[in-house]
Amino acid sequence: MLSMRELSRVYRTDTVETTALDGIDLEIADGEFVAIMGPSGCGKSTLLNVIGMLDSPTSGSYVFDGREVAGLPEAKLADVRKHNIGFIFQSFNLVDELSVRENVELALLYHDVAAAERRRRVEEVMDRVGIAHRAKHRPSQLSGGQQQRVAVARALVGNPKLILADEPTGNLDTQHGEEVMKMLQQLNREGSTIVMVTHSPSHADYAGRVVNMLDGKILIERRRAA
Amino acid sequence: MLKMWGNYLTVATRALMRHKVYAFINIFGLALGLAACLLIFLYVRYETGYDRWLPDAGRVYQVQTLYTDPETGARTRQEATEGAAAESLAKEFPQIESIARADSDRVVLLDRDGAAANAELLLADPTLFSILQVPFLRGDRGRALAEADSLVLSRRQAMRRFGTLDVLGRTVTGIRSGEKYALRVTGVFEDLPRNSQLGFDLVSRIRESDKADCGWGCINGVVYLKLRPGASAAAVEAGLPGWEKRNIPRTTVDGKTVSEGDAFDWTLVNVRDVHLSGAEPMWDDRPENDRRTIATFSIVALLILAMACVNFVNLSTARASQRAREVALRKVLGADRRQLIVQFLGESLLLTALAMLIAVALAELTLPWLAAFLQSDLRMTYWGAGGIVLPALLLVAVVGLAGGLYPALYLSRFQPGAVLRANRSAAEPTGSGRLRNLLVIAQFAVSIALMACTAVVYSQTHYAQTVDPGYQRQGLIQATGFNRSVIARQTDTVLAEVAKVPGVTAVAGANIRVASGQTLNVRVSVPGRGDSVTIGWYGAHPDFLETMGIRLLAGRALSRRFANDSAALPIDTPQAGEAGMRSLVARGLNVVVNALAAKQMGFADPAAAIGKQVKANAFGSEYGLLPLTIVGVVQDSRFRSAREPLEPMIFYDSAYFSNLVVRYDSPDPRGVLAGVERVWKRLAPDVPFAGDFADAQLAQLYAQDEARGTTFAGFALLAVVIACLGLFGLAAFTAERRTKEIGIRKVFGARVPDILRLLAWQFSKPVMIANLVAWPLAWWAMRDWLNGFDSRVDLGPAPFVAAGALALAIALGTISGHALRVARLNPIHALRYE
Repeated sequence: MLSMRELSRVYRTDTVETTALDGIDLEIADGEFVAIMGPSGCGKSTLLNVIGMLDSPTSGSYVFDGREVAGLPEAKLADVRKHNIGFIFQSFNLVDELSVRENVELALLYHDVAAAERRRRVEEVMDRVGIAHRAKHRPSQLSGGQQQRVAVARALVGNPKLILADEPTGNLDTQHGEEVMKMLQQLNREGSTIVMVTHSPSHADYAGRVVNMLDGKILIERRRAA
Repeated sequence: MLKMWGNYLTVATRALMRHKVYAFINIFGLALGLAACLLIFLYVRYETGYDRWLPDAGRVYQVQTLYTDPETGARTRQEATEGAAAESLAKEFPQIESIARADSDRVVLLDRDGAAANAELLLADPTLFSILQVPFLRGDRGRALAEADSLVLSRRQAMRRFGTLDVLGRTVTGIRSGEKYALRVTGVFEDLPRNSQLGFDLVSRIRESDKADCGWGCINGVVYLKLRPGASAAAVEAGLPGWEKRNIPRTTVDGKTVSEGDAFDWTLVNVRDVHLSGAEPMWDDRPENDRRTIATFSIVALLILAMACVNFVNLSTARASQRAREVALRKVLGADRRQLIVQFLGESLLLTALAMLIAVALAELTLPWLAAFLQSDLRMTYWGAGGIVLPALLLVAVVGLAGGLYPALYLSRFQPGAVLRANRSAAEPTGSGRLRNLLVIAQFAVSIALMACTAVVYSQTHYAQTVDPGYQRQGLIQATGFNRSVIARQTDTVLAEVAKVPGVTAVAGANIRVASGQTLNVRVSVPGRGDSVTIGWYGAHPDFLETMGIRLLAGRALSRRFANDSAALPIDTPQAGEAGMRSLVARGLNVVVNALAAKQMGFADPAAAIGKQVKANAFGSEYGLLPLTIVGVVQDSRFRSAREPLEPMIFYDSAYFSNLVVRYDSPDPRGVLAGVERVWKRLAPDVPFAGDFADAQLAQLYAQDEARGTTFAGFALLAVVIACLGLFGLAAFTAERRTKEIGIRKVFGARVPDILRLLAWQFSKPVMIANLVAWPLAWWAMRDWLNGFDSRVDLGPAPFVAAGALALAIALGTISGHALRVARLNPIHALRYE
């Protein structure tokens, strides 16, 4: 699916130079479920943003789906991103002014999908995450767990090759957190590749591989025994 | 307590400094609105302040004439009235303390250097200055008009003619019928202010012979009266119908008894209200105005101020989320809601006061320009009864409270728990966005309506000046005073000599001219028709039609080859004149009429009128009716403003004419004008030459409409600027508020153009809806305004659509900067942290 070699990301201001990612080597195969862990400020989110092409590396190579994407212009990156990657955020990032259905549909609006097909896929994915009965509600009328289900549905509706989840359970209580994790596990079993940033060791246990980071470097990787 | 206010001030100032765009839009936008309000305030006070300075103004009235058109029933009002009314009014109404008639006479006076120049001389009863107590600088007001040769001058005239104010007893020489005569100065009065309807600066005593010549039926001057203290004008007015019956003689015309009172009524108008009474002015050079214009300007100024207040409300509530935390903290620390309301109202007052300072500066800067433009001496003073300090403070209080109240109530309502716990958007209750949208719609509705009105006013003004007037507009010179006796005797010589001036292609004389203020009418009865009709009665040289380029529709033009085409009357002695009139009535006269006159006389088409005879009451009933034979019918022509209805006209060859009309075709029009003047001066050196280009005189007719159009354009521009300032601020805050949403959209594949389209649509919607509000309002207002014109443009959709499109383009241009900035933002900045 993706491979990174000697990848770095440096932020510069006038006075400070911060190395957020420092010589990352990472391979992720199709169908994997990878959890990225580490203390605050270790570079987890930056790594996820670079994987999701929301941010570009300062140096190094990033091959996604057999294609070198490091150094591609923003418009090209947006194109690759839109067809291949779905995002789930800690704070859900739903649009308050849109209904559940419209929020899910949003991810297809910028794809070239016919209206009828779009409707079908939105209904299907809402069904799949169990939120179809709330289709007409606004995000503010839902519980945190339900909001995250909407966010998952939105990430899935474009049939992405890769799902990126940035602390998807961070704003949820234990029960709802477990629900979301089980859903991600189920998606992985059905074939989705998932990369997730998390603080929670118990949630990291759902993943097949855990990558531990510190100060912009990958410290250890361990595979969970199948 | 003081500490608390200090804290409020600190927070307010820092909040402003931190959000400079917001502060600029609020303060500058408000300053524009306030400046517009101040200027209009000064203008309205100036316009409503006419002749308030006159001592006893409350008791001084002008007698105005109301004319009811017997054919249409339309009523018009004029300042000029029948001087004959004065005497009987004084006799019949004991409430009247004093009354004076005054006729305006155009005379020739010699300047200091001995050159003859036209002057407007007011001939008045000796009581005039006890009624109109203009301040006297020299002489005794009671005796100033005691003698027949008395002359009372304004300061300006005294300085111009003598270079000093000490001129009592000195003489000014005049020329009448070629003879010199002397007027002796008996008084000097202070120059009248510009906002005075009393347009005189040379006053002499009215001659008894002039009074006798101008009896009932002669509307030639004004009548002023002063009521006794405590007397009621309404009581006098109530007695006027009875007075009409007792005093206006009835005469028999064509077998019917008629009276001047049939078509005319009279009314008393206080001297302070004359300017806005809507009456046709006695003096053409006095600026006209009416209450509707004043009201329109006031409403527009208030709308603009309201728009600035709307910006204030909109921006304050839009950025509420930014102040929510402060409110929450203050509440946690013990502030109650009342204190917070006071704080926010205080801020609003502070902002308004700042804006007022800028507004006063703006008003000071633009006032001289506006005053010159409106031909008024608008002045701004700060202290005293006429000062603007008090109104300005009042305005600050009203605007500050009006603009600040809603934001204060709104901001102070936040619940600390919710605000401190929740993310930002939860602090904003639903519905406030809708209110903002409504206010933006209202703002743009005003802007669009004003733009549409401006477009219509401009196109009508342009149309009125370019529409075919029924004669050839270009290449025409006109000179008045052609009937002064010295030059009138040489009429044919003048015409022949002017024709020789290089560039002159045709020349004629006429009693009508382009942009003339004088109407001459005659009652015409048509055999077989019951009622007589009133038709314009204008002497014109046979070459007049050709000179003007007025087309013949049927029959022939007048000609000196036919004896019956001439209405020449001897002018040497009154006896000869009377004999001439009697023989003319006995003989009959050939005339040319215009198409409208033919129609009003009842002829089906121009050809049907040819050869027909009608009878005109041309010289008064004692001479009998003058039989007129129609020999030609010409196309209608519009000599006056497009506001006035087309006039039915009879042209006859009177041999002497008040105007000289010259057609030229030359690359050097000024040279032609100078050539005509040389001929005039050579033949009649004592008659001042008063000639000018007809199109310049015509443009003067529309100067007021043009000024109004420009003023409207100024207001429309101001409204658009303020609306755009508001939109600019709103776009900034919306962009900020929607940053997260836009980030999400970008993460899921939206490109910059997608985002731009999204934002453009958001801001286009209120502007488009504003059209639906603006169009009917503007259409209604403009239809009403256009109805004041007899000849007018069609009110099509073009100006409305154009105004809407322009507003949309301006709105999109305004928000494009913000939209582009936020559309290009990297989404991770928006999404990483809440």
